[in-house]
Order: sequence, then structure tokens, then C-alpha cells
Amino acid sequence: MTVIECKEVTKILGGTKALDHFSCRIEGDKITGLIGRNGAGKTTLLKLIAGYWRETAGSIEVFSERPFNNLLVSANVIFIQNEMDFPTALNLKELLEVMAGFYQNWDRALAERLFEYFSFSPLQHYKGLSKGMKSTFNMIVGLSARAPLTIFDEPTTGMDAAVREDFYRALLKEYLAHPRSIILSSHHLDEIEDLLEDILLIKQGQELLHLPMSDVKEWAVALEGKVSLVHEWIQNREVLYTKSTGFHQSAAVRNDFTEAELQQLRLEGVRISPVKASDLCIYLTRDSEGGIDDVFNKG
Amino acid sequence: MMSLTKVRLWDVVKQQYRYKLKGYIQVFMSMVVLQVLALIFSLNGVGNAGASGGLLNVNTSYFSADFVLAFTMLWGFITAILITTKAYSNDDFIFVTNRLSSHLSNVLFLVTASILGGLTTILSTFLLKVIVFLFKSDVYLASSADLAAPMTLLVGVSSASLYILLLCSLGYLVGTLIQWSKLFAVLLPAVFVGGLLLNALSGEAGILAVLYAFFMTESSFPLFFLKVVCTSVVLFWGAFGLSNRLEVRP
Repeated sequence: MTVIECKEVTKILGGTKALDHFSCRIEGDKITGLIGRNGAGKTTLLKLIAGYWRETAGSIEVFSERPFNNLLVSANVIFIQNEMDFPTALNLKELLEVMAGFYQNWDRALAERLFEYFSFSPLQHYKGLSKGMKSTFNMIVGLSARAPLTIFDEPTTGMDAAVREDFYRALLKEYLAHPRSIILSSHHLDEIEDLLEDILLIKQGQELLHLPMSDVKEWAVALEGKVSLVHEWIQNREVLYTKSTGFHQSAAVRNDFTEAELQQLRLEGVRISPVKASDLCIYLTRDSEGGIDDVFNKG
Repeated sequence: MMSLTKVRLWDVVKQQYRYKLKGYIQVFMSMVVLQVLALIFSLNGVGNAGASGGLLNVNTSYFSADFVLAFTMLWGFITAILITTKAYSNDDFIFVTNRLSSHLSNVLFLVTASILGGLTTILSTFLLKVIVFLFKSDVYLASSADLAAPMTLLVGVSSASLYILLLCSLGYLVGTLIQWSKLFAVLLPAVFVGGLLLNALSGEAGILAVLYAFFMTESSFPLFFLKVVCTSVVLFWGAFGLSNRLEVRP
């Protein structure tokens, strides 16, 4: 089932296109990673999905409805971001209480256990929390709400390594126990790689790549060997990245080799290795210089 | 697939209203402070009349809680502006909401605030009487304005509440206009003060005088009720219409 469908969505913010004819379709009950550089339009896209902002052009549908100013979408989506405007008058415990009243699937027991595990005190106020603690509290809210569409925008900001680790485990356990659609935007792709089923890569407000994680890992290969050899092999191919040191050259190219070609490569003494997903994303989202343009033109 | 939660507008409004009573508690603190301040001002009396002849010297002071009502009306106006600001209205979007439910719960909250304001205003007259009786006066003369009968009291509370509500709805529209464009934060006071000055210069009774006559001199309560409620509905409705396209901005 399709949860989110964007068709040619454009959002203009302050004169520039934050999203530029962006199209994508996100299926339900998956953990999708939204990856992109700063300013690529990740948060803009998420705010449109959550119904915070209105699209300038194109159409966006969440649960087959337009999210802007929509009660059904609001009730079924929880959007966790860094600047959560929690009311200042309420303490943490009261905040959780109010949340529980609004979100029908809210799991009080889970919220309470997480609350204690991360040693929050009920009388604390959100404003007085440190950055990492704020993120941790946001996470508790995001997980306990059990919203059919759960969106985390840079959820681990400020968290220390141990809490980040806990967060990923908690997210996975929650997802397995209560499958739902989760969108996770993060800079730390290598950390969440194992968590993600799909990856949605965006650059300059446009969809670059939307693939299952397993395909992403095979999308490109790294070749390493003598300059003359490697150089010959990467001719007329999509080169994502190349680096040569004297006689030695390494390159990452789109994996459209046939089995025979790979065999041939090995025989000639070229080392073949997979390209890590996080590296691939870095190569793909780099500001274009020469060869990379081909990738985008393919679109 | 997790099944979608179906929500009814009215349930969300109720939930939001409940939250707002708790979350906006600070505005009632400021109301109490303002009313105490107004009471202190009122202790000077609103009018004095003295007469002396020979050995006899009579000085009469009139006391009224008009100050308290005026201050509470002002409080209602400011509170309504306050809850349209981003610091408050963005809070709703943490929870389940759309713009209509957010507005409706705001209106419910303002109605509640007006009733509380009206009630405390009228009750403050009793406090004023007690203070005057104990500390200020040798002889206390009850007046026809004493609100002893339950019915009179009820009308008093209702009228005070309605005046506050009127200012609340005006403030709500003004606040929404300002959210719509910051230009109004400058424009509206300028037009207001400028209008007053122009009226004063030309010696005409301006729109304010007309409004005063329309709302303040109505002697029939049902008619007054109707006037205020209709005006408030129009003002609130204007605010709804304006903000329906506003985005949630940090």
C-alpha cells in the first residue's frame, strides 16, 4: 500500500526552489532512509508530508489525502524534528499525558519505561533539557505515539553514542513488534544502514535514487588496480569517483558489468570490491564535476 | 499495516481545549495581577462630591470596579493576541490538529477566560466594598448599583463577560492579522491613534464614539447579548478565514 505519493511537487522558499518537481512514492510498513546533503530539501519534504507547509505546485498525498490542514493526516502522522514546540507551561510528565490524549495508539507503558530508562525526572521542563536530552525525549514521543506514519528528522542530533545505539535498537524493536511506516532522515547513513529497507536519496530538491537497501549495495562497484587497466575499463561507464596515485588507480563505477566481464577483470588483476552505501551517497550527492553529470541526466 | 485512526473534529477540539486550560494557565496569573492592580487604583474612588456649610462637612466618594473591568477587558485583548502568536499556535501542531480545530479550541478557551474574567470582575466589587468599609470610610452608603439580588448579579457577570469576550475576539482578529503580515503590527496602532487624532482635530465623533454608543449604552440585556455575540462571531470568523492558508513556521 502506498503511504506517500508525491507528483511533481515544487516548494518555493524565499525565492529558491527547495523542492523542484519532486516525485516519489513511499510504500507502507517500511523503514525508509531519507538521505541528502544539507539544504537538499529533506526537511522541506518532511514538512510537506506532515502538513506543516503547503506545496507551491504539484500534488502530494499522504494516506491518499492532501496533508495540508488535514485532520486525518495529523492524527496518523507524528513528525519528530529538532525544534519541537512543546508547550512551556507543562512538565515532561504532563506533556506525555497530553500526548497520550491526542494519539489514540499511544503506548503509555512504553513511554513510561523509556522515560525511566533514560532517567528523566517527571518535574523537569522541556526547555531546561540539554540538546541530547531533548532529542531523547523527542524519540520517546515519536516511538510511543505508534503513529502509522512516523517521521524522524535528524533524530540523533546531540545524542551521545550510547544513546544513539539505544535509539536504533528501540526503533527496530518497536518496528518489529508494531510494523508501521517510518521515515528516518539522517546524516549518519553508516549508522542506520542496517536498519533501513529503502533508501531515498535527494539532491537539490529532486529525487536521485529510490531503491531497496540491498540494491543500493550492488548499485556500484569499486575497481582498484594499475592505472592503464582501470582507465580502460571505466571508459564509457558512469564513473562516480576516481582517484589515482601514480601507477595505482581506484574508481567507483555503476555496476553494469556482466558476470563474464567481472571474471575478466579479476583475471587481469583488478581488485573488485563493493561500494559502501554511505560512500555511494557521498559520491552521488557531491557537487557535480564532469562525469557525475551523466548520473543525473539519466534521471 | 497499522490501521488508520479515524478522528472526529469535535473530539480533537475537546482534547485541545482540555490541554489549553492546562497549558495556558499563565494567562490567568496575569489576570489576577492586573485585577489586584486595578483594585488598588479603584481605592481612590471614581468620583468625589463634597459639601460644607457651617460646622457640617460632608464628603462623598463613589467607588466602582470599573477599573477592574477595563483592565480585564484589556487583558482579554492581549491574551487573545498572545494565543495567536507562533509560540502558542505552533504548539498545537505538535499534537493532532488542523487549523479549524485549533481555532475552535482557542475560541472555547477565550470564552472560558471571558467568563472567568467577568466573574472575578464582579466579585472584585465585593472585595472593594469590604476594603472601603473596613479601611476608608466612616459611613457606608449602599447604592442602587449594589449587586445583591442573584438575578442582578447574573446579569452583571454576563455583561462583564460579554465585554471581555468582545475584546477577546477583536484581539484574536488583530493577532491573526499580525501573523498574516507583520505590517499590521505597525499599521493597526497607527490607524487607531491616527484616527483618534483626526477625530479630535476635526471635532467629530468618530467611529469609536459610534461603537461606544452601540455597545455601552444598550439598556436591554438580550439585545446587548445578541450584539456582542454576533460581533464576536464575525470577528472570529474573519480570523478563521485569514489563517486557513497560513503555514506552520518556526
